[in-house]
Amino acid sequence: MTVRAKRDTAQMGWQAELMLGLAKRGDKTVLAQRRQRGPLAVQRPFYPEGAVCHLYLLHPPGGVVGGDQLSISTTVAQDAAAVVTTPGATKFYRSAGANATQKQQLQVAAGASLEWLPQENIFFPGALATIQTEIHLTSGAHFFGWEMHCLGRPANRERFDSGRLEFQLNVFRDDTPWLLERFLLTDPAELDALSGLRGFPVFATLLANDVDQTLLEQMQSQFGHLELACIGFTLLDDLLICRYLGESTEQARQIFIQIWQTLRPHLIQRAVCMPRIWAT
Amino acid sequence: MIEPAPNQCSPSLAQLRLMQLISPSLPIGGFTYSQGLEWAVEQDWITTADTLAQWLEELAETTLAQIDLPILQRLYTASAHQDSAALDRWNQRLLAYRETAEMRAEERQRGRALATLLRALKVPLAEPWYSQLSGSHLTGFAHAARIWDISPRNMMLGYVWSWLENLVLAGIKLIPLGQSAGQQILLSLTPKLPPLVENALHLDDTAIGASNPALAIASSQHQFQYTRLFRS
Repeated sequence: MTVRAKRDTAQMGWQAELMLGLAKRGDKTVLAQRRQRGPLAVQRPFYPEGAVCHLYLLHPPGGVVGGDQLSISTTVAQDAAAVVTTPGATKFYRSAGANATQKQQLQVAAGASLEWLPQENIFFPGALATIQTEIHLTSGAHFFGWEMHCLGRPANRERFDSGRLEFQLNVFRDDTPWLLERFLLTDPAELDALSGLRGFPVFATLLANDVDQTLLEQMQSQFGHLELACIGFTLLDDLLICRYLGESTEQARQIFIQIWQTLRPHLIQRAVCMPRIWAT
Repeated sequence: MIEPAPNQCSPSLAQLRLMQLISPSLPIGGFTYSQGLEWAVEQDWITTADTLAQWLEELAETTLAQIDLPILQRLYTASAHQDSAALDRWNQRLLAYRETAEMRAEERQRGRALATLLRALKVPLAEPWYSQLSGSHLTGFAHAARIWDISPRNMMLGYVWSWLENLVLAGIKLIPLGQSAGQQILLSLTPKLPPLVENALHLDDTAIGASNPALAIASSQHQFQYTRLFRS
């Protein structure tokens, strides 16, 4: 049964939910389960590189407004392999008072791999939003993913001069917390915090497990020095974290794609297969 | 031979014990860490007394107020209830909030040094709980404070003071600034500490957690810095 969710113009907003279950059938990964409520959808999976399932997530057309509650859950079962991306940026618009939330829960089983490569989130000035990403990895799971956030619209010289944002990024390994991040922006003055965003409108984080010290050093020497932007690589056990602060999502995307190209052969023994939708 | 510390301390004695616990002479190497400050100074992110004070104030309001202080309080409670599973749980969560390899290593190194010292001082439970106490600096700190009857509030005030003192000293050495400029920063920032502690005493579990992107980047880059005086 499909429940038709309605966006109440007064306060409520969309209650959208998408649950995806990927499983290995024969020699390829299929979308074995899909539950959908409201305007969050997924296109028919396709297979540009054979066994790996490529999925495009579609966010509500026209962006996210105050009161919207989006929840995405993706489970990759044992030995399955999936690449998930989005066709475009997700826009969070100015809110009259209600908070928008986007919760993403990713679970990867042993022997499975998930490459989570969404395009950026854009927060219009005045947006009120909570973005929560929870990644649960079982020992032996492979994960590569990123998040890119653009505060305000730097191309139009619009700073994020009002609004409130909360970003949570939590990684668990076998249910034990591995990395807990919580970045709050409650006051526009904090945009210039010396230890925070340093006035940069774009911040982005890349995560990959199965990385060793040699790869860390390679990443650092290849990408560790940027003009007019900041970047840092660190290794927590075998979890690589790359953090970027800069002026443009395009620069973050270019660097992250290059890191993906370098790491993918080590992580899942495959060369990068660029999602075609990025080219459009 | 020195007698083991008694378990019951008068308020005045507890005060003195706190001074010992937070003294720079406590052999746990607090002065050898800069928490990314060394790289931030090299990059000219921090060049003056004002920018040093601003950097430290930001960290006090985020990392300290929303991670260290509330977790310290919960570790203290766990120690009081002799709940070693809770000590493990909060210790694990604390380490997960430390955003870089160096910050995690610092927490563990200081933890081991303090646990070893508490064991040598024959502090009650320091022996059977050695593995818990050595997990992080905060765990041993909370346990010692509890054993020595230091109140949670005073423990938190003492902790945040010693954190600030260490980083101010690191800052004036790195920039460099004069000793009196360092003392001036301490004088100007200390009034901001008691409200942070009061707030942390009543913080809900869900309000715990804070990240600072540029701090995390500074700490990540520090690991690759060519010449380093500090271990973090």
